[in-house]
Amino acid sequence: MRVEFFLLIGALLFTIGCVGVLVRRNAIVILMCIELMLNAVNLTFVAFAHEGQSMAGHIFVFFVMTVAAAEAAVGLAIVIALFRRRRTTDVEDASLMRW
Amino acid sequence: MVLLLGLIGLIAVFAAVRSLLPARSIPAGIAVGAIATVLVALNLRELVSLEFWSWIIGFVAIMSAVMVVIHPNPMVSVLFLIMNLFCIALFFLILNAQFLAVIQVIIYAGAIMVLFVFVVMLLNIRLEEGLRIGGGPMRSGAIALGAVFAALMFHAIRNRGEAPYFDPGGYDAGFGTAREIGRLLFTRYQFAFESASILLIAAMIGAVVLAKRRLR
Repeated sequence: MRVEFFLLIGALLFTIGCVGVLVRRNAIVILMCIELMLNAVNLTFVAFAHEGQSMAGHIFVFFVMTVAAAEAAVGLAIVIALFRRRRTTDVEDASLMRW
Repeated sequence: MVLLLGLIGLIAVFAAVRSLLPARSIPAGIAVGAIATVLVALNLRELVSLEFWSWIIGFVAIMSAVMVVIHPNPMVSVLFLIMNLFCIALFFLILNAQFLAVIQVIIYAGAIMVLFVFVVMLLNIRLEEGLRIGGGPMRSGAIALGAVFAALMFHAIRNRGEAPYFDPGGYDAGFGTAREIGRLLFTRYQFAFESASILLIAAMIGAVVLAKRRLR
């Protein structure tokens, strides 16, 4: 099994997550798609770490997980604040700063 | 003999998948068809190989990611995302990253996803109406850019220079263990590790302030 297999899976998952971010209306699902993209990057990191036999990729995955946890906490707090003001989680309705 | 065993396995897998998935939905049909095709195409000896299971896990990961994007109910999306995270944890195991696989299950599927489930149930969101797919020129431009991106990605992965083969036996004993990761975190990546703690504190305070009843 070559490392390319995992790189291809990672690229596919990243693309699917990216499409989800662009296409969905629900802010929570958009956050989930961001998690999907971060996971695809994690998979790529681990695949390269395995290929290069170096553990630096593992450390990077560790920090990506930390950032993902922080991002999920803050993002969901923002979604809750938005829901409290507008009674919706639709990103189309939060258009105050839109040009 | 092999053909007979393959047939029996095919029927068993068909029954198992059929009872797990909702009756007569399109994804169920696709999944059963794909698994049946793979089982018929391979013989039984392949069933114990790592490569075969990698393909199965990859297929499940891609399908669950697609379901996260296309399913209108956010709750179902969360559950499919958890399935996807489990598949990636299995990939981590295949790629010799045992500690990261465990962390993936505990932290991602256990903690972060519970946060998502909690918020989805707290807000009691109704089903989403329609995807946000743009008009004519926007959509064709997006398809063109996506095709260019896919071609670039494929090119980059194909022509990567020297690519060593997967070799499970070629590593020192400590590769991917908690001991090695801890050693690296506290020696070479000490500064990043301490910065991560500041990041987590900042995120915690930010979440508490944002979720307060009145923003001031």
